[in-house]
Amino acid sequence: MKTTTRIIMLSLLALAAAASPARAQSKSELTVALSSFSAETLDPALQGHNVKYYLSLMFDYLVGVTPDGQPSQAGGLATKWEPSADHKRWTFHLRKGVKFHDGTEMTSEDVKFSLQRATSKRSTTGYAGPLRTLIADIETPAPDRIVIVLKEPTLIIPTYLSRSLSTEGMVLPKKYIEANGDDVFARKPVGTGPYKFVEQAVGSHIKLTAVDNHWRIGVPKYKNVTFRLVSEETTRIALLRRGEVDVADISRERVKELEKEGFPIHMRKEEAIIHAWWILGPEGRTPPTKDKRVREALNLAIDRNEIAQSIFGGYAEPAVIPMGLTWAFKDVGFKVTPDMAYAYDPARAKKLLAEAGLASGFTLDVYAFQLPGFAEGKAFAEAIAGYWEKIGVKSKLIPVDYPAFRKMWVDRKAPGAVGYYNIANRDWIGAYALLEKQGYTPSKLNDTVNDPEIDGMIAQVMRQTDREKINALMRNIFTRLRSEHHGLPVVYVHSPYATSKTLGKYNPGTVMYDLFIDELARR
Amino acid sequence: MLRFVVFRLLQSLVALAILSVVVFILARATGDPLHMILPMNASEEDYANARQYLGLDRPYVEQYLSFVGRAVIGDFGNSIRARRPVIELLQARLPYSLKLAAFAMVVSLALAFPLGVMAAVHKGTGVDRAAQIVAILGQSLPTFWVSIVLVEFVAGRLQWLPAGGADSLASYVLPGFTLGWFVVAGMMRLLRSGMLEVLDSEYVKLARLKGVAEHRVVWVHALKNALIPVVTFAGIYFAILVTTAIVVETVFAWPGLGRLAYDGITSRDFPVIQAVVLTTAAIVAAVNLGVDCLYALIDPRIRYGR
Amino acid sequence: MSVVVLPETAAAPVPAARRRRWPVVSIGIIVVFVLVALLAPLLSLADPYEQALRLRFRPPVWEDRGSWAHPLGTDRLGRDLLTRIVWGSRVSLAVGACAVLLASTIGAAVGLVAGYYGGRVDATLMRVTDATLSFPVILLALILAVTVGPSFGNVVIAISVILWARYARVVRGQVLTLMTLDFIAQARIAGAGAWRIITRHLLPNTLNTLVVLITLQVGYVIIVEASLSFLGAGIPPPTPAWGSMIAEGRDFVTSAWWVSFFPGLAILLVVLAFNLLGDWLRDTLDPKLRQL
Repeated sequence: MKTTTRIIMLSLLALAAAASPARAQSKSELTVALSSFSAETLDPALQGHNVKYYLSLMFDYLVGVTPDGQPSQAGGLATKWEPSADHKRWTFHLRKGVKFHDGTEMTSEDVKFSLQRATSKRSTTGYAGPLRTLIADIETPAPDRIVIVLKEPTLIIPTYLSRSLSTEGMVLPKKYIEANGDDVFARKPVGTGPYKFVEQAVGSHIKLTAVDNHWRIGVPKYKNVTFRLVSEETTRIALLRRGEVDVADISRERVKELEKEGFPIHMRKEEAIIHAWWILGPEGRTPPTKDKRVREALNLAIDRNEIAQSIFGGYAEPAVIPMGLTWAFKDVGFKVTPDMAYAYDPARAKKLLAEAGLASGFTLDVYAFQLPGFAEGKAFAEAIAGYWEKIGVKSKLIPVDYPAFRKMWVDRKAPGAVGYYNIANRDWIGAYALLEKQGYTPSKLNDTVNDPEIDGMIAQVMRQTDREKINALMRNIFTRLRSEHHGLPVVYVHSPYATSKTLGKYNPGTVMYDLFIDELARR
Repeated sequence: MLRFVVFRLLQSLVALAILSVVVFILARATGDPLHMILPMNASEEDYANARQYLGLDRPYVEQYLSFVGRAVIGDFGNSIRARRPVIELLQARLPYSLKLAAFAMVVSLALAFPLGVMAAVHKGTGVDRAAQIVAILGQSLPTFWVSIVLVEFVAGRLQWLPAGGADSLASYVLPGFTLGWFVVAGMMRLLRSGMLEVLDSEYVKLARLKGVAEHRVVWVHALKNALIPVVTFAGIYFAILVTTAIVVETVFAWPGLGRLAYDGITSRDFPVIQAVVLTTAAIVAAVNLGVDCLYALIDPRIRYGR
Repeated sequence: MSVVVLPETAAAPVPAARRRRWPVVSIGIIVVFVLVALLAPLLSLADPYEQALRLRFRPPVWEDRGSWAHPLGTDRLGRDLLTRIVWGSRVSLAVGACAVLLASTIGAAVGLVAGYYGGRVDATLMRVTDATLSFPVILLALILAVTVGPSFGNVVIAISVILWARYARVVRGQVLTLMTLDFIAQARIAGAGAWRIITRHLLPNTLNTLVVLITLQVGYVIIVEASLSFLGAGIPPPTPAWGSMIAEGRDFVTSAWWVSFFPGLAILLVVLAFNLLGDWLRDTLDPKLRQL
């Protein structure tokens, strides 16, 4: 008996020794732990949900952006671009001497090929649809020049092909893909970015290694970058504490604790708006939320300050405009005035319900689910349902996972039920892209608004090339979204990322689903 | 004996065939994978395109036959989410699941042996009860709770062991312990009752009368005989460990089959769901087959009993 | 050890075993929780759904910011933990009881029929049993949860749809043995029909085993339900269930330990009690039953 115990003890000790505490991370390695990888395919044309944390290291965009999302001639493969006078031909001048990881040189043929591939039927990228309907032709007059010919005049092309939105602007190697096929490319992707693909273990990690020298960041500071998928928060934090991970997304709940321990926290301010809405029926809004007063009442019943302070640990601000992306407000000169804010006023909410003939309340289905970057999802749903109970609206929580909710939403199977989303903040073109998806009746499946007046204004924005007129249209759209209560804007959330104590300065930027790890690798 | 093995093998194949129908239907009942892979602004045309591209527009019977036909030769089709052959994912994951299960087995045996023997030798005393409680505790706490507490305190605070991943031998300790502790109770019960039976037997009494030292009686004579049920059940426990590791894999970011199944279900990745369920079922069936054959070898009556 | 002391060491455990004291503590724990569950509406506690975000994460009464208003503190939505644990006992015990009773009824029926009729009936039923046993419980529950949404009923169904197979196996095994015994043959000669033999002769002789299995598996089911909550497929919020309470509190292990600790303690006590009681029952009623 004693011998057995001794053997067990010895083997446990041996294991503990093998696992000597917090091995020092060599400077040449950078490890990023993320709670979600979204679709784990490495082919940019198959990334439906725009998650580009690792893709933006392997590929360069036609149009680069600064970490703050501003188009930058220094950050992309195009050094300069200009529209024709009628805004129907956009010419992009390409950087010379850029090579793919397999050694071939990048030319305008590659850009053309990539764009055609991104808008092909097979593509599942975020904006393949609008681009497909917009682009008439792509010309390649010279290896360093490409002209995109459009069916309608528009200003949105450079932004749609930039790093600030989805993956359509990523430039892929034409020869490599044509020679090896899509499947080989998806498994062993080749790009022009500062990091080359090494290996992927689906559901576990993606390893990249630095190129010798990159036109954008010079000699990369880290030899290897690894992205690890660690879905459990406690585990990500433990990895960070042990020094096994250098960057990790963390929940707002644990910011104070980690700050106290001296871990630098990088906040992406107002990263997203938490926006809830009522699912439309096949013919648009259905009673009782067809009544504007009911929509207002449900808005007034929510104490946004309390939600910001408690559910989001103080790292959130009350939101005012449905689908109101604040970075777009700046671009189009939209001012949020104090009278626009929804007061927490259950008494008035009850009065509005009574006026709408619903004094005795009604039943409301609330879908409850979590989303990447919105771990508080279920608590949030419980909280808003709790507020509505207080004004006599019987709120039934329906726990689902996101794909199930999305099916209810786009199939219009549950008219009037409440769903929500964390909508990444973006500039005016990004905001326009969002409205064109979720606030525009002709976009059918995803529409959440169904308001002819708004539809008319959205239709004008795409064809409009006068910024002043665009700005006025956008301001009017936001004003009407608010005055008609087309949704439940709740809060803007700040998203924290923790880094190891030795990592130094880091700006995770403001671009959605991108962490600008390449900026971290800049010497 | 050969007839028995062939017969049992056929039985397992029938069970797997039944399961293939069930899992095919269940996977499709989960919903539409396209909502996960298509962008928010996808049009009805985009949905139709993708459906055709992925072969999801074919009649169900055709889909089922192609699934079974190819599964027989180890081809489970392509993952809808990761867009690569499912068999590649299985090949990457299965070894980690098996290794973790094996490690957990070692842990649970290492705990069950001293506990079971102590409990049997000191039957009815406080030692017996304490040993039982230690064993049963592992079964009485949700594994995810044990895992999280271990990650938070042993890995995060004390920094003794890695918190996640499967990079080194040390990273096996926490998930292996959590998983292993969960089945200690079952093993320990087997050992304890086996030991009690043997300790009561004429054979042990004779050994004692012959003057064999008590610790030898317990550790050599009694344990040897109590081991048979443990060894046979160990196979079944191994199968249980492989198939129930999903929670532990989630917390410890372990790249095993359970997590693959979870991701498959949440993203409605039919081929992955089908492949994981059939693979784990095949493992369970193989283990049961092995156990039955072992039994049949030990006790020939079973061959006719079944 | 000498031969002289042998009688004492050999004899000592036997009387203790014969006496077999009742597992008072286990029974006590179970009785208390069952009473609490039954009497929850009469305990006139706070509303388990009442949220007060400003009062969230209040610690238990003995800690600095604690108060008697919330003896065990509050959760992340400011709901009273004690109230939720009390109401949660109804849900968790009900899941355990319903799933196990449903599974044992189906399982016993299948096992009895398969064992009694043998032949093709037996072969068919046992293949279905095999197929069921090889389907991981948690995966099935996850699939059901994403298909029709997680709910009390679905959790019970998901668990019992798999669990019955174990009962079927064990009962069938016992029936096979019983069928070789004389009294079944005598009953047949006396003209007893299948129904009569199954209900009057076979079932009563498997009851001991069933009781042991049922007791042991109540705890197992409660733990499985908790694991499902962790994966988002358990009893859904806002219903208070111990599993989902721990799962919700898991991110606050350090900042608000009580949120997951107290429901965890409740699960631990109840499951431990059921397991110990089950072990005792097995030792007493059916020492030969080894598995589970």
